[in-house]
Amino acid sequence: MISWVQAGLLALMGVLAASTIAALGTSIGNYTLNRPLIASLFVGLILGDVEGCIQIAVPMQIIYIALVTPGGTVAADLRAVSYIGIPLAWAMAKSQGWDMGGSEASAFAGAIGAAVGTVGTVQFYGTAMMNLIWQHIGWARLDKGDFKILGKVEVVLPLISHFVISFLPVMFIVYYGADAIADFKEALPMDSWYMKSLFTVGSLLPAVGIAILLKSVVTKTSDLVYFAAGFALAKSMGLTLLAATAVGGVFALINYQITMVKAKAGTVAVDDEEDI
Amino acid sequence: MKKISKKSLNSSFWRWYYGNLTCFSHEHMQTFGYMWSMLPIIQELYETKEEQQQKLQTYYPFFNTEPQIGAIVVGITAGLEEARANGAEEIDDEMINGIRAGLMGPLAGIGDSLIVGTYIPVLLGIALGFAEGGSVLGPLFYIVVWNVTILWFMRFIYFKGYELGGSAVEVIVGEQATAFRESVIVLGQVIVGAMAASWVNITTAIELTKDGDGNPILLQDKLDGAFPGILTMLFVLGAWWLMAKKAVSPIKVMLLMVILAFIGVFFGFFDPKLSY
Repeated sequence: MISWVQAGLLALMGVLAASTIAALGTSIGNYTLNRPLIASLFVGLILGDVEGCIQIAVPMQIIYIALVTPGGTVAADLRAVSYIGIPLAWAMAKSQGWDMGGSEASAFAGAIGAAVGTVGTVQFYGTAMMNLIWQHIGWARLDKGDFKILGKVEVVLPLISHFVISFLPVMFIVYYGADAIADFKEALPMDSWYMKSLFTVGSLLPAVGIAILLKSVVTKTSDLVYFAAGFALAKSMGLTLLAATAVGGVFALINYQITMVKAKAGTVAVDDEEDI
Repeated sequence: MKKISKKSLNSSFWRWYYGNLTCFSHEHMQTFGYMWSMLPIIQELYETKEEQQQKLQTYYPFFNTEPQIGAIVVGITAGLEEARANGAEEIDDEMINGIRAGLMGPLAGIGDSLIVGTYIPVLLGIALGFAEGGSVLGPLFYIVVWNVTILWFMRFIYFKGYELGGSAVEVIVGEQATAFRESVIVLGQVIVGAMAASWVNITTAIELTKDGDGNPILLQDKLDGAFPGILTMLFVLGAWWLMAKKAVSPIKVMLLMVILAFIGVFFGFFDPKLSY
């Protein structure tokens, strides 16, 4: 279902987009090509079904919408979700004749995305460990005054890590996985306890993703009131994300003005009244 | 009077833009990216090889922050290095590394919460809307808007940091900047709430009893009657609590969710009710 050339191209994209250590750097590699929704455009071009791949990627993107990697701790490396998960979910939906935007395809995409996310995590830590070799070569050569080694350590040598730990595994998993996945239906019936559990996992994991995000914006427990307010705006009042942003902007503006007024009162003498 | 040429500054900027994390390891993270980026500046400012080698050693210590907003630190040290080359005696290795160490923590917090935690998810959220039905408009929107804005932002703060040198610290951690940042974070808290409500959907299949006509009365409906989506919110808050208050790693929380899924399915609490 997926040829060697296609599998190779997908593996190459995985290297370019290998999360924080992406061969194309942070802004283009990690924060553009690594995101499932963006990746789906390229996967679609490679597999010849742009529309279908984008639809498949939407539920995966939602699970990982809020991926922050503080201090190099990676909960899930999306390169595997994007360049293994999307092709396999697409192959599954195609072999089953599902509607790419339908609920079966969505649920399956979410679950397989979560499952292969761990593959990416292993790849991330593996690459970071292998990079230690290049860095040690770098230190040794720097002591001898060889400045040119910096460029090699930064641009060329990590490609070896990527080839071994990212390119080869992704290519093989996608090539053989796409064929194997057609037998999925018989081996793993939907009403079995393990498939039910797999799909339940798919619905629980986004909660962790959002919680990671929440952790990055909440400093004191009382901040959770704003979180609950945003939740109620969207769930109970049905506001879209942008509309909720507008309402949140009001809170933000009020907070800014109050803080500045307080700061002024604290530092400037009492006779300065014009702004208060 | 020595002055860094535009060419060297550009070269330094692009090296940081591309290479901030390409040779990431958990031992040195962004150290090599930093050195590679400072190299053109040091080579221009200092003539002898010995001097260049000695000045490069200033940047040997560990460095890690959110690399996009961290461009300002590289800019600041470029400015400081220029002043040092012109004989400013108060600028020594200790001062430069004091500024680097003092900024990387706060900047990581700002970058993770504002850029990665708020700006990217909002852009992706809008792109998801555009991607409806598999439209390429979604990915294209994100690719263009994200890359144009982040490149502009990184260039802006890099050169701002260079111009201001050490006084940039006040701009970043000053009163007004702090008030602004805290207010944007309030906005972030509301948005995260709205995201949780829009993108996470955890439901229970528990049937409480049947009414007179034999229709099931579902626990889910009772819960939503009290606070729409409360189960989802509790899962997000629970995951947050474990990570923020109990210092449990995201991977362990994800594993816990997998276990909860299995137990929940076993007892009939969860049931995705899907079929092929």
